[in-house]
Amino acid sequence: MNATTLLQQVPVLLRGETAQVTLWTETPSPARVATWLAVTVGGSSAFGAAMGWWRAPEQALFTAVKLPLVLLATGLGNALLNAMLAPLLGVNIGLRQSLLAVLMSFTIAGAILGGVAPLLAFVIWNAPPLAHSTSAGTTHAFILITIVAAIAFAGIAANLRLLRLLERLGGSAVVARRVLVAWLSVNLFLGSQVAWILRPFVGTPGLAVQFLRDEPFKGSFYEAVFYSLRRLFLD
Amino acid sequence: MSVATNLAEIPVLLRGETVMVTTWIDRWDRRRAGTWLLVLVTGAALFGAAIGWWRAPLQALFTATKFPLVLLLTALGNALINAMLAPLLGVNLGLRQSLLAVLMSFTIAAAILGAFAPLQWFVGWNVPAFNLELSSAFLGYRFMQFATVSFIAFAGVMANMRLLPLLRAHAESDGAAWRVLFAWLAVNLLLGSQICWMLRPFVGRPQDPVTFLGAGLFQGSFYETVFEAVRAVVLQQAEVQQ
Amino acid sequence: MTNLPPIPPEPPFSGLPTTPVPIAAAVPSPPLPGVPGTDPAERVPIGGFFAASEAILRQPRRVWFQLTQDGQVRLTFLLLGIALACALAYGLVVGTFSGGNQLWAAPLKIAGGLILSGLICLPSLYIFACLSGAHTRLAEVCGLVAGLLALTTVLLIGFAPVAWVFSQSTESLAAMGVLHLAFAAIAIRFGMKFLARGFEQLNAQFGGGLRVWTTIFVLVLLQMTAALRPILGTSEDLLPKEKKFFLSHWTESLGLTDSGASRR
Repeated sequence: MNATTLLQQVPVLLRGETAQVTLWTETPSPARVATWLAVTVGGSSAFGAAMGWWRAPEQALFTAVKLPLVLLATGLGNALLNAMLAPLLGVNIGLRQSLLAVLMSFTIAGAILGGVAPLLAFVIWNAPPLAHSTSAGTTHAFILITIVAAIAFAGIAANLRLLRLLERLGGSAVVARRVLVAWLSVNLFLGSQVAWILRPFVGTPGLAVQFLRDEPFKGSFYEAVFYSLRRLFLD
Repeated sequence: MSVATNLAEIPVLLRGETVMVTTWIDRWDRRRAGTWLLVLVTGAALFGAAIGWWRAPLQALFTATKFPLVLLLTALGNALINAMLAPLLGVNLGLRQSLLAVLMSFTIAAAILGAFAPLQWFVGWNVPAFNLELSSAFLGYRFMQFATVSFIAFAGVMANMRLLPLLRAHAESDGAAWRVLFAWLAVNLLLGSQICWMLRPFVGRPQDPVTFLGAGLFQGSFYETVFEAVRAVVLQQAEVQQ
Repeated sequence: MTNLPPIPPEPPFSGLPTTPVPIAAAVPSPPLPGVPGTDPAERVPIGGFFAASEAILRQPRRVWFQLTQDGQVRLTFLLLGIALACALAYGLVVGTFSGGNQLWAAPLKIAGGLILSGLICLPSLYIFACLSGAHTRLAEVCGLVAGLLALTTVLLIGFAPVAWVFSQSTESLAAMGVLHLAFAAIAIRFGMKFLARGFEQLNAQFGGGLRVWTTIFVLVLLQMTAALRPILGTSEDLLPKEKKFFLSHWTESLGLTDSGASRR
């Protein structure tokens, strides 16, 4: 199977043709896995570049490297846990199959993000630079909403496809939903922290452009949220 | 029948399979009685050791010896009266049968207590040594007391729940079985409390040396002490009101 | 994002060179009714560390069946071995929060505490089962408890990467404590489910008694966190000199965190 044929399989994932995707997860081929990885990395990288470009070209490069890393680190970090949760919650699949199912959903998300990347780049091209964005509050807000909306759209679409796959593997909608919620929870939990460690993705106008913050492992996403909430409600 | 086979019968007692247990009570088997005694002594000794361990290792040894003694002396001391009360109250059991029935219920209680012994030990391990000046230590002591009483109460209730169907099987009526159960409970409680009083201390006070038996072995009785305590409280209350 | 394209019905796949998909092969068959052992696959003995780990996750009926067979002692010890190894591994991750002596002390305390909790509560579980009228052998109950510990710790290994990421990031003792407790709670919940369903499969249902035992077991586990402290933080002593109830230990630890104490 050549690379073109394999790339032609990506629309099958996007259309959610579960019968075919189920077969692919059961009989994986290294070439297909590599293609899915390439799409995940390529798509998220393109989106990351568009995001970072808003701050500076150098930040575009950094974010293009880091965004795929968030997905891959989350997928691999939770691989064991996802593989354990699935059979415990009723979908009797192994480590390889669960990892492939998660990779499939990341591939879909990556493809969508890659598809939206030019659109985001166009929006950012037409917006004032981030350094002056305080003077252009509406534009700033619009770009942030565009980024969030694109990521949310990619995430929802990927998970809907994943749900279909789990339904087919588990034989029951309830069981599939249970596994999906469990996977989403643990992926969100770890993903948020990985993203926190790998910040900044857009950058702050006052600070220098850098690959990672000075102390990337200091604090956690949830502590930051907790202290922000405490400040908001108690101070 | 080997001891192992007889030990395998203990779960039958715990499950309360009346038909099987009734035949065991009706027909005397020395080995079976020996096994029940073994379980009684071991279970009660383990639980006693767990209680005494909180005070000192030597106290654990003493209590492990005394706790089974309380059960055995109570069962043996009341054997005659229990055997007399049963037919008088409407349950057709002879001396041997009533003794075996009581032994069976004590065996069940001891098996349960033996199973709870590790938990009792764990509670003792985590509770600070008794010290009236420290509120946390006093609370810990209270918790330990609560846990011990809960375990003993649970074992006692379960043992009697298993005894009742057996009495029903031999009783002329349901009421007769209940009457005999209450009568046995009353006399066992009466003698058992006094034996406990005589064989004290089971835990021991920190300021006193660890001893097998207290200084006043045959001085006073459990009931006199309770009576004196109640009188003191009532009189004190009356003085306060005057 | 309400304009999400609807997921279309599944048309026959075309355009790519593939073979027809056997649906029956793609969809796993529903669980077989009846007692464990109905399926011939469940009668295959479980051998090896990884096979047992996989079986407890994916084929619990096979484990329950094998626990009732002759020679189940080997499986029980295998499950205990898994519990021990996984607890040591997870303990190492816990130890990375403070480093130093905790790198070896935390694994030993977690593995030891878990096995000790199981041993403390095992006799009462057997007695509860018997009192509830369950026809189970002590060896089967031992096997089920070993399975409970094995499944709990295997699941903790799944959480280990997440725990490690957080232990490298946060300085807060309280945050890490809460995180580990949350992971343990999830893992124990699944372990308890294995135990309860195991008793059901062995025709030994005792809802009330099992609930009481579960409460006791969880309390013992929680108290172990105080009895063997420090597990997460650091102290001059390997084991505590003062006895404390776990709630007061946690409250004090939270107080220390609020006053700025951390692992370093």
